Amino acid sequence: MSGSAPEAPWLRLDRRMVAVDALRLVLAQLPALVALVVVGVDADTVWPLLGVAAFGAVSAVADLVRWSRTRYRVTAEHVERRTGLFVVRHRSVRRDRIRSVDADARLLRRLAGLRRVTIGAGQVNTAGESALTLDALSLDAALALRRDLLDGAGPPDALATLARFRWTWVFYNMVNVWAYVMAAGLLWGAYWTATMFGADPGGWVGGLADWDALGPWRTALVVLAAVGLLGFLGMAGAYFTEHAHFRLERVPTENGTALRTTQGLLKTREITRDDARLRGVALSEPLLWRWAGVTDTSVITTGLSRWSVAATVLPRGPRGVARRVADAVLAEPVSPLAARLAPHPAAARRRRLCWAAAVAAAGALVLYWLAATTALPAATWWLGALALLLPGALLAEAGYRALGHAVSGRYLVLRSGAVSRATSALRRDAVSGVRVRQSLLQRRLGLATVSVSTAAGYGVYTAHDLAAADAAPFAADALPHLAPFLAAPGERPPARDPRGRAAVRQL
Amino acid sequence: MLTHAVPDGIGLRPPRHRVERRTIALWAVRAVGGAVAAAAPPTLVHLLWPDARPWAGPLLAVVAGLGVLHALVMPGVRYAVHRWEVTDASVYAAGGWVVREWRVAPVSRIQTVDTTRGPVERLLGLSTLVVTTASSSGAVRVRGLAPAVAEEAAERLNTLTQRTPGDAT
Repeated sequence: MSGSAPEAPWLRLDRRMVAVDALRLVLAQLPALVALVVVGVDADTVWPLLGVAAFGAVSAVADLVRWSRTRYRVTAEHVERRTGLFVVRHRSVRRDRIRSVDADARLLRRLAGLRRVTIGAGQVNTAGESALTLDALSLDAALALRRDLLDGAGPPDALATLARFRWTWVFYNMVNVWAYVMAAGLLWGAYWTATMFGADPGGWVGGLADWDALGPWRTALVVLAAVGLLGFLGMAGAYFTEHAHFRLERVPTENGTALRTTQGLLKTREITRDDARLRGVALSEPLLWRWAGVTDTSVITTGLSRWSVAATVLPRGPRGVARRVADAVLAEPVSPLAARLAPHPAAARRRRLCWAAAVAAAGALVLYWLAATTALPAATWWLGALALLLPGALLAEAGYRALGHAVSGRYLVLRSGAVSRATSALRRDAVSGVRVRQSLLQRRLGLATVSVSTAAGYGVYTAHDLAAADAAPFAADALPHLAPFLAAPGERPPARDPRGRAAVRQL
Repeated sequence: MLTHAVPDGIGLRPPRHRVERRTIALWAVRAVGGAVAAAAPPTLVHLLWPDARPWAGPLLAVVAGLGVLHALVMPGVRYAVHRWEVTDASVYAAGGWVVREWRVAPVSRIQTVDTTRGPVERLLGLSTLVVTTASSSGAVRVRGLAPAVAEEAAERLNTLTQRTPGDAT
């Protein structure tokens, strides 16, 4: 206990962690015991299970040591934690820096009524790294700590529920390339376990169908479909465990409001994001799933990077829901996301096509050179060029069509991205700098790119390939400080590039 | 206001001040240094590995040619383009050569103001003004100022920044 009277006392983590660790110690021995005693597996093949048991024992004991050596306290200015056996680490986080207080629990901790509390205090670019973890506190202590650190007042009742879990969203989250990775993992684990207990999964699968009669192509198709199905089911399961009971709410805090998400089946994850730090929202729509309206929704806030999970306020879902939630998050009288986005000049398409052609030409050149100097067949160079040019041109078109920008009330709305179309609504008063760029090609085509920098989210949001004449006025809309540097009306470029207009007519 | 250095197609007037003329030498030194670094690997391959000469030779020629071209053209273009200005409300800088760039940072968002001097800059009597804001998008850098000018600008910006309330985010 520390010295002077008003100082907060150092506290231990919850005692029930001892029971949890003891139980973990016992549980870790079970697979090996079952294999050796019940199934009677050969001692030679059981060593991986013994490894699992040893690892479980060591980690449980290590956790016990960690528990016994950890103390924490909450003072008027700081949250402090001391931990470590040989090297004592002391970490303190200033309370006004605290951005989020997460409480989650895996099964054992949950059964014991414990919660692991993660106190996040990120800065731009270092966000995502949680500042301090207390593993674990009792549910009451965790709730009290969160109240103390974030809310001040009693348990906040939601002012409004912006979104709730819907089981149909699972379809947006299970069909995914990662499904195959997951299926591979599941199959490998199943195969390994089965062989350990003396089964023969290879023979079992071989006996399922007359594979020889199917031929290699159909076999491949069946395997692909079966593995895919397994993966999709796995993804669906993972989605349910992670997102069940999802709720997005606006809750009152000591000095305003915050967005709170609660989610998880076994492990409840709760993230609170202060509304005072909110600077906008971003919707992103992957190209391959555009037809299905698949959309990811995240908030642009200071103190959290866009890559941090905390920025995501809604699981991947249909565009309509994402739009509604984004509008509710912003709570503007006129939704910025409903603003009609100005399309960018046709020259922007030509710029993209030029780049696609340049990439294809470079690829063809390399292949031509390889064909001339090595045994590569001579036809590869134009085949390679075609293989690069077609997707390149399609991406160029998709990239061009994604372009758009608007100024809507307090917000800038920017849309771009070929593979993943991102629509970002960023508050204008959050803009902390402007950069206008123009390459030689852009200059020839009468285009310019405007980037606004901000302390929130990605840090930079860009309107690619505006008409050169629109660039400076748009930049001045984004940042009024730029207005004094606008050229006198007579010195500005013509309102529209005549060549650009002719090109529009031709198309 | 000085005459327009380079007419720009962007609808922004050029910033008020040019950089020092001797910055051309700074850019040239940097370009030569870059060219030497880029040409070193193909040169080594060419000298040490005779089997590779059929492709190392042309590669070296291309790299060296581009390096020389870069060192000849870039400094002059940059001198014509690079300009800067500090007002009570913002820092305004124009730069670049193949890709031109205009940047504005409001004084109210400035977090740090530094002046830096590299070894070559010290030899040439030049200084760089570096202004950072809360964004991760990088600082506004004005190269090629006389040290006294850079110091004065930094001092002015520091005074202005202190007068502006808020945490600049």
